[in-house]
Amino acid sequence: MREQRLKSLYPAIYMVPNKKLNFVVIDDSKLDCFIAEKIIRNTGKCESIRSFLQAHDALDHIAANPVDDQSHTILLVDIQMPIMNGFEFVEAFEKLPLEITSNYTVYIISSSINEADLNKVHNYRSVKQFLNKPLTSNNLSVLLG
Amino acid sequence: MKTGEKIKILYIDDEQNNLNGFKATFRFDYTVYIASNTTLAYDFLRDHNDISVVLCDQRMPDKTGVQFFEEMRKLYPDPVRMLITGYTDIESVIDSVNRGHIFRYIKKPWTDHDVRSAIEEANKFYLTNSMLVEKNKELQSAYDELGKFAYSITHDVRGPLVSVIGALELAKEMDDINELRELLGMMAEAVRKIDEYIKNTHEYYKLKRGALQFTAIDFNRLMGDIGAIFRVVAVNDDITFSWQVDQGGLFYSDEISIKMILNNLLSNAFNFQKKSETNKVVDVKISMNDNLAEIEVHDNGIGIHEDYINNIFTMFYRATSEDTGSGLGLYNVKDALNKLGGKIEVASKLNEGTTFKVTIPGNLHGTK
Repeated sequence: MREQRLKSLYPAIYMVPNKKLNFVVIDDSKLDCFIAEKIIRNTGKCESIRSFLQAHDALDHIAANPVDDQSHTILLVDIQMPIMNGFEFVEAFEKLPLEITSNYTVYIISSSINEADLNKVHNYRSVKQFLNKPLTSNNLSVLLG
Repeated sequence: MKTGEKIKILYIDDEQNNLNGFKATFRFDYTVYIASNTTLAYDFLRDHNDISVVLCDQRMPDKTGVQFFEEMRKLYPDPVRMLITGYTDIESVIDSVNRGHIFRYIKKPWTDHDVRSAIEEANKFYLTNSMLVEKNKELQSAYDELGKFAYSITHDVRGPLVSVIGALELAKEMDDINELRELLGMMAEAVRKIDEYIKNTHEYYKLKRGALQFTAIDFNRLMGDIGAIFRVVAVNDDITFSWQVDQGGLFYSDEISIKMILNNLLSNAFNFQKKSETNKVVDVKISMNDNLAEIEVHDNGIGIHEDYINNIFTMFYRATSEDTGSGLGLYNVKDALNKLGGKIEVASKLNEGTTFKVTIPGNLHGTK
């Protein structure tokens, strides 16, 4: 029922053929991870989803996991996190081999309204776009469509 | 210059007689350094950074007083410069005064009274300038902290707020009551974080602006009050919580600061517990002997990674991604201890626990 309603609401998500989408959420807030997971699952477009509260754990996971040509992964990265922040993560991510990174699309997602943060996003070639928190079904569907 | 200390002055003249005469006249009122050439003068300036007034004769073999002051101003801008000269050099003196190299000139031959009043004036000018520099430093640090605050508010307050907005939107679509409850729990946590941030900000403000109030501290009563609050948490989270107090005599200190320090250290000890640990422990030891109080707060929680331990007292620094903490708590603790002349040490091992040890010297008496 719910599935169908979503399909009719967000047809664009279902148009990419044969390519499975995986999601990795990196955010030190459990609540934000929870919200992101729910919204992503609701799209019905998601093959797998993993959340990481610590950026370096996500980095280890990405570096260690074998690349599967059949799938593509969307990375949603928060900026302000202790120990390794979003920008530091992206810098480390960009140093990984291209055959790994090319399977990912990176989005920065933050509640920051700080201009320096917003401008900094443009400095990273791997970052596709900046998204404002909270993540909503609407802005996720725009991004996927 | 500390109050009650003599004004330190340096006098440069190539004629030894003048130097001797000057020193003989003024050594009772001021600390007088004399130099027969500018090289020696620089040695004094280098070794005594609290010289407040420099007097220099205009006519010297290697360079003029004006030339010396022009140079000196670049290397040692703080001491106030005064030239001693006869009428014949007046043109170059006027030029020099106008260009700001010289605070005042003293006519040759000088009288004691002229020199004395010039030195007093110069010293006032020096003190005002030093105070301005000091005030500017304080202002700069206040601005820096304000900047950090402004940034942290957009993250530490707006962050959880935006999460709650997102969660509310999500909740509208949810039917499963158990899922909803889970979400509500997390929302409550987010709102509590904002509240904690505001409380810590208030503490920060109280510390910065408030004057210390020294009263006799009864550690038994103090720990009893604070312990009662944390005992509730201990029961809820199944943590073995104990404290012991050994107070050997009267101890004067600022109760608000000590409460805040204990509260923060205990909050950390309770918050940063290992979820897997079956025997969670927090214990507090307070002792006071020879007017020195020692507070030890120990836990067997998650510990602090050695790479981050040096940063834990930094404003808005969080050494863990455990979802709690405003980044202000330990900063406030350190700040309060600086005011009280106390210190804090931390010993920690990742996954084994943390011990904070605070020492505070007592004040000799209460605030009147």
